[in-house]
Amino acid sequence: MAEIELMMVRKAAVLGAGVMGAQIAAHLVNAGVETVLFELAASDGDPNATVRKAIENLGKIEPAPLARKSLSGHIQAANYDEDLAQLEDCDLIIEAIAERMDWKRSLYERIAPHIDSGATIASNTSGLSINALSLALPEALRSRFCGVHFFNPPRYMHLVELISGPDTNDVILDQLEGFLTTTLGKGVIRALDTPNFIANRVGVFSILAAFYHTERFGLSFDEVDALTGSLIHRPKSATYRTADVVGLDTLAHVINTMKETLPDDPWHKYYESPTWLQHLLDQGALGQKTKRGIYQKAGKEIRVLDRASNQYVASGGKADDSVASILKNDNPGERFARLRESGVPQAQFMWAVFRDMLHYCAVHLQDIASNARDLDLAVRWGFGWNQGPFEIWQAAGWQQMAAWISEDIAAGKTMASAPLPGWVTEADRTGVHEADGSYSPALNRDQPRSRLPVYRRQPFPDRLMSEPASYGTTIFETDAVRMWSTGDDIGVVSFKSKMHTVGPDVLDGIDQSIEEAERGLKGLIIWQTEPPFSVGANLQGGGGGKRDQKTSAFASAVKKFKRSAQAAVLDAARKLNVADALMSGRLEKIERIIAQFQATNLALRYSSVPTVAAVDGMALGGGCEIAMHCDKVVASLESYFGLVEAGVGLMPGAGGCKEIAVRAAQDAKGGDLFPFLRRSFETVAMAQVGRSAENSRELGFLGSADRVVMNRFELLYVAKAGLNAMHEAGYRPPLKFANLPVAGRSAIATFKMGMQNMLAGRYISEHDYLVGSKFAYVICGGDVEAGSLVDEQWFLDLEREAFIELLATEKTQARVEHMLKTGKPLRN
Amino acid sequence: MSNQIQDAYIVAAARSPVGKAPRGVLRNVRPDDLLAHALNAALVQAPSLERSAVDDIVVGCAIPEAEQGINVARIGLLLAGFPNTVSGITVNRFCSSGLNAVAIAADRIRLGEADVMIGAGTESMSTIPMGGNKIVANERIFIKEENIGIAYGMGMTAENVAVQWKVTRDAQDEFAAESHRRALAAIDGGEFRDEIAPYTVRERVPDLEKDVIVEHSKIVRDDEGPRAGTTTEILAKLKPVFAAGGSVTAGNSSQTSDGAGAVILASETAMKRYNLQPLARFLGFSVAGVPPEIMGIGPKFAIPKLLKQTGVRQDDVDWIELNEAFAAQSIAVINDLGLDRNKVNPLGGAIALGHPLGATGAVRTATIVHGMRRRGHRYGTVTMCIGTGMGAAGLFENVT
Repeated sequence: MAEIELMMVRKAAVLGAGVMGAQIAAHLVNAGVETVLFELAASDGDPNATVRKAIENLGKIEPAPLARKSLSGHIQAANYDEDLAQLEDCDLIIEAIAERMDWKRSLYERIAPHIDSGATIASNTSGLSINALSLALPEALRSRFCGVHFFNPPRYMHLVELISGPDTNDVILDQLEGFLTTTLGKGVIRALDTPNFIANRVGVFSILAAFYHTERFGLSFDEVDALTGSLIHRPKSATYRTADVVGLDTLAHVINTMKETLPDDPWHKYYESPTWLQHLLDQGALGQKTKRGIYQKAGKEIRVLDRASNQYVASGGKADDSVASILKNDNPGERFARLRESGVPQAQFMWAVFRDMLHYCAVHLQDIASNARDLDLAVRWGFGWNQGPFEIWQAAGWQQMAAWISEDIAAGKTMASAPLPGWVTEADRTGVHEADGSYSPALNRDQPRSRLPVYRRQPFPDRLMSEPASYGTTIFETDAVRMWSTGDDIGVVSFKSKMHTVGPDVLDGIDQSIEEAERGLKGLIIWQTEPPFSVGANLQGGGGGKRDQKTSAFASAVKKFKRSAQAAVLDAARKLNVADALMSGRLEKIERIIAQFQATNLALRYSSVPTVAAVDGMALGGGCEIAMHCDKVVASLESYFGLVEAGVGLMPGAGGCKEIAVRAAQDAKGGDLFPFLRRSFETVAMAQVGRSAENSRELGFLGSADRVVMNRFELLYVAKAGLNAMHEAGYRPPLKFANLPVAGRSAIATFKMGMQNMLAGRYISEHDYLVGSKFAYVICGGDVEAGSLVDEQWFLDLEREAFIELLATEKTQARVEHMLKTGKPLRN
Repeated sequence: MSNQIQDAYIVAAARSPVGKAPRGVLRNVRPDDLLAHALNAALVQAPSLERSAVDDIVVGCAIPEAEQGINVARIGLLLAGFPNTVSGITVNRFCSSGLNAVAIAADRIRLGEADVMIGAGTESMSTIPMGGNKIVANERIFIKEENIGIAYGMGMTAENVAVQWKVTRDAQDEFAAESHRRALAAIDGGEFRDEIAPYTVRERVPDLEKDVIVEHSKIVRDDEGPRAGTTTEILAKLKPVFAAGGSVTAGNSSQTSDGAGAVILASETAMKRYNLQPLARFLGFSVAGVPPEIMGIGPKFAIPKLLKQTGVRQDDVDWIELNEAFAAQSIAVINDLGLDRNKVNPLGGAIALGHPLGATGAVRTATIVHGMRRRGHRYGTVTMCIGTGMGAAGLFENVT
């Protein structure tokens, strides 16, 4: 019998329509799982009023829990009084009600008679014991009960902790892990049934350690946030603002759980909300949700709580220059050595926080996780750290760090006096992550990664720093791209440029990859080893610094769209990076590059082998145009497509306009082209970026045959499956279009009519009007009669000419220059 | 005075209630059905008139396409049960279409070529969006600066009027709140009872749970637009929708609406023959052009032109139904002509009551002729501004 990798979930139920419950339901429908969301019946009127409100509210939460807004219609509203019978159809029931053992117990009693004998029941508890919860269920259900702990916001946070109960059937756990991984796209870590499991245990301790040392070293809250955010590659919200975002009440609750359930913990005395926190809670200042917490926004100014006076004061705490420069040191060993040596309180603080956190992880690893990898990945995926605690330790030099920590324990400097466990100080230990796996204290050996069948879909899982970056065998490599294969006759081309921008050298690389693929491979996949897919063209070969594109962090998820929009426009500017070229009158050169880009995109479309764009993260400008020209797009849910050139006074030039016109002609099926063009016109003129792969599809960047993959680590696997399917079906390139109808002159006038109102209403500038008019001109096929028939090259020529015309205008040049200088768009 | 050979009298004037578009009570009612309803409602007021005596039916409609296309006048009259010997014509001058229909009908009588005519109007803005299902501009409007106003949406023209005539946001909101106040008082006072024929809406919708079609039925008696509790303060919170930093909002603009109205006109001969009682005498109609980008100012030129043509002094006009396309243009017209605000829209205007584009002229004619009768007024005018820059006005004399 074939192994069943994934749990078959035809329908799921989520019990509890609170912040987590409703968002878990949203993510289930993101994944195409029909979902019933239960909540208490409203006391009067429509009994489903409460749950309906929660579903409606999903459309208003930022970052958006739903991949596209209309998905909320697929969440069915239900209440416990009338609808329990609906549970009988559900294969998976996720309980996400308030963290009260008595409430959960009575709910379990109520639902037990309605649960199908094959269904799985999982609690999204973050603090209660799965053991104890299991006992609240009738015995017959216990083998199908476990904990699944999602992180907020569940669509964006990669981590789900999976916790076995005492009687949970192993097969069910494995299948659920498959479902969570492939269907929901999550990173599953098996956690032991200990309070707060892994990520919260470590993450919250890290916050408590920061609280403690903030006071000891007399630092202010905003100073600590300046130190513990992007300077150490963690979310910008750092420590205190993260607490505000999470909710101070939630944080206090988690702290209290630790206090009550971990009496023997050497750090027990620190499991206490500081007085200032208690004071805020008493005033109902719970953080972001009440618009007041550790921080408060006063108009445009952000104010921070001053511990001494309990008043909000202007915030502006900064990292000391000397400390910032230590933290920027690329050598982790040196970094810690210098923090330790420095007399500056901020440096002392940083060392103390890291030291106590590592001390804590070393002592507790055995109780809370199977191995060091699970702990590191849980913290990375659940708290958005770019490295896990043990990765940090190992990178800094295991023995040296261990010696320093031991020294501080002996000197009574550490928060607790528990000694480091014996395995830490073994003489030959160089770390916990080795080639054969990561150290497991329970097994006292290294434990390899899970061999569950679902992980065959992840040829390149999220890497630990100790794992080498190695991607197949090189077919050819240039400064700009590397083409490689894993021996399956499929060529993969990955860009080496920063942010995967596309310059002439990358275009050459793609051309060569297509040639190689045509010489005997099944086809070509464009896949990057990490996001983004590509932020667009770079006509000069310059480009900005590579930014960390990991988006698992809470705060970065919150900021994602702001940032991607900014990056989008920035990219468009960078894409050009043309200021110099303009000055020296090199428009001709740029036109040649645009022509080359168009030719490469056509080659992707018409090559004799299938091409697939495997997209994760941003696919903007030229990156979007590349994807639009492949035979198929396979995109992770968190991919964001956009043609954003209008932001710097330009328009798509590498076939993006042509694709809009071609797709409109296809969608119109001989009918009126205008409504189809209008949708794209609005999207592109406003430089709109899709907020998920599904939303990008709504905007027209993905077609109906393009696939969305929930787990970005399965992207390449699915892309290959798609390519194989095309190859096996006897792939032939599409026939070239010869008779495309255009919308023509009157449609251009109609677009201009709409813009004329925007202009008169001062919503757009004269130059915006010009950019929009040129764009309308191109996608309508120029000043010709409606219904005239043209070919693809007609559109390509129009778009290249219009692009260059815009580039030649002073105002577009000013926009590009301004964007490059300031990173902000210029309205002119 | 014009060179007419006989007078044209209004002997009946009725209308449907006006619903909000696109999500109001009449959203699923077809405009041809609304027209048929209004035509029959008018006949109820003239029970002794034979349907076959009607010479022609002129129907105003601003966007005569799709559900209200292919000559909605003829379709509506046949659906209403008129014999197929009765003819129909649809006319369009946007917002004055309904008034133009009444004027054309009257003129046929005044010229002596007909004795019984109907002027009517119908519009379902729920069904046909503003501007129609397909807007296609002519590239040549961008060649001459003075033609660019053709491209402007109505809201933009209202912004232009507000700026040029210095009409403040406060004044607009105050005007709008007053429109709602008057409309609600009029409904409470039963002022529209003489003209509105309640409409029974029947809707067939699928009930997915029971797997059957369910028919809902509802009688609509009143205009849906007026909203209690609409104060200047509440209106002040709305954001401008047509211009950045502008003053025209959804709250101080007319509402998009669904509705129909019909007015029966007869010569003295016909009144005698069919024993009809006159409500009002049609005195005249005029229209004037203005720059498209400030179309709202149109009535400022149409009203004096009408008064000059009919020889009636402005002060002698007791009732002015000035279509409130926008508070901005209404105020500009009132101020420039020195109109008495108390005489303008005493029962509220389009900001509260709604503006079913091509129907409005016929609907407000019904309002004014019944209203003047109740109040014993003598002269009343129905006037409005018109997209692409025009104003129209018609004058009626109470003869009851």
